[in-house]
Amino acid sequence: MISVCSVTKQFEKPSGITRVIDDINLEINKGEFVTVFGPNGSGKTTLLNIIAGLDNPSSGEVLVDNKKPKEADVGFVFQNYNESLFPWRTVLDNVVFPMEISKTPREKAVKIAEHLLDKVGLLHSKDKFMYELSGGQRQLVSICRAIAYDPDILIMDEPFSALDYSTTRKMELELLDIWQEKKITTLFVSHDIDEAIFLADRVIVLSPRPAKIKKIFEVKLPRPRALDMLSSPEFTELRNAILNTFEYEK
Amino acid sequence: MKNKKLYYILIPVLLLCIWQIISYFKLVSPLFLASPYDVFVHLISSFEDGTIWTDIGHTLYRVVIGFGIAAIIGVPLGLLMGYSSRVYNALEFTVEFFRGIPTTALFPLFLLIFGIGDQAKFAVTAWGAGLVILINSMYGVHLGKELRVRVAKTMKVKGFELFSKVIFPEALPQIFSGFRVAISLSLIIVIVTEMFIGTDAGLGKRIIDAQLVYQTANMYAAILMTGILGFILNKLMLFVENKMVHWKGK
Repeated sequence: MISVCSVTKQFEKPSGITRVIDDINLEINKGEFVTVFGPNGSGKTTLLNIIAGLDNPSSGEVLVDNKKPKEADVGFVFQNYNESLFPWRTVLDNVVFPMEISKTPREKAVKIAEHLLDKVGLLHSKDKFMYELSGGQRQLVSICRAIAYDPDILIMDEPFSALDYSTTRKMELELLDIWQEKKITTLFVSHDIDEAIFLADRVIVLSPRPAKIKKIFEVKLPRPRALDMLSSPEFTELRNAILNTFEYEK
Repeated sequence: MKNKKLYYILIPVLLLCIWQIISYFKLVSPLFLASPYDVFVHLISSFEDGTIWTDIGHTLYRVVIGFGIAAIIGVPLGLLMGYSSRVYNALEFTVEFFRGIPTTALFPLFLLIFGIGDQAKFAVTAWGAGLVILINSMYGVHLGKELRVRVAKTMKVKGFELFSKVIFPEALPQIFSGFRVAISLSLIIVIVTEMFIGTDAGLGKRIIDAQLVYQTANMYAAILMTGILGFILNKLMLFVENKMVHWKGK
């Protein structure tokens, strides 16, 4: 469970105070998949960093399973897989890494890692290095790595935005597949509206800087999700409703 | 492929031709420049009578010891300087100060401290090579991807583990760049110390002995051997680098 209580973040510069996040209140239930949809530069990444304990809010509080974010186990998947995976480790050893840190016995860690890699169809590549994989495969490795040590929450910061359309759709299915098994509380930031709806139980729409919650939408599509839902009437209706929250200036 | 090999030997052959022409037409007195043929004959005969092996052995031994000391001290200290701004602030002035002073100018100081034996040669070599290794290791940390350190922090990697499992491998490509410069520099410094500090064996001594009695062919044979040795050392280091830092540039 993630609870964000009136979190505000501002940076003080000689030119004045820039407010990036403005009084965000949010509750994410255990096992829930929530996507955050908002324009670029709206402070989404700052919000994620605060929830992950990489950054502190100027005011307000975040609790992850009733713990301070710095004490909670957070699985973080970054957009830039090239700079977040360890190129000196094999695929398997990348996934094993967080379990090595949490002192899980090697044998058990390998078993868990192999199971996850098998789920995403990368077991045969376990001894390869990152430069031998495609972009999509690399991001799958970093997803496996992020959830391997059973974190309290999974945070994903536009993980698929560097991938092409069909790879992205495939990745979403893979992600939901492993999520379904573990039911990890997930916060997923996206600037792709289809993705935001397709994955989520709830879609949170943020306003441009400073980030504020504009509206929260429930996604009532059944699970497991399938690609044909992308063109279902419910989907289209929700999509339009979300798009209508943005005012376009001419 | 054939073309590539041709390019490889083009310049060496050209240089040999120029050398041959100069000595054939006696553009320079043979007292100062032996013909390539004479030099090769001397080089081969010095291998046949075995005298050069002792010199190569002594020189190599000093290079390896000097370089080894440099690496053992330079890498950890450089990593620490790159990681901790306190260590950096404490050492920056000293390092930048000595960086500008030619190691060879410090001979008298090292002789004063270590005497005229091998120890002084090890120390001078380790000093010169160590500075290069230290600076490159430091840059290795600075140039390393900050994101990977953040990833590690979300996984609660701390202290020595952060250092050994993330920061060190991250800096490894740059450390090896330092090693390659340092190994060549070590050879240079060893040769110069053998020439000017004095020793009973070594390629530097061979060069200076031949120089003093105008055995020009012998001198160039020893210089040629030094060049070959430097080439081999560099290739060897490159080979190790490609094995150890297999992900570099990929």
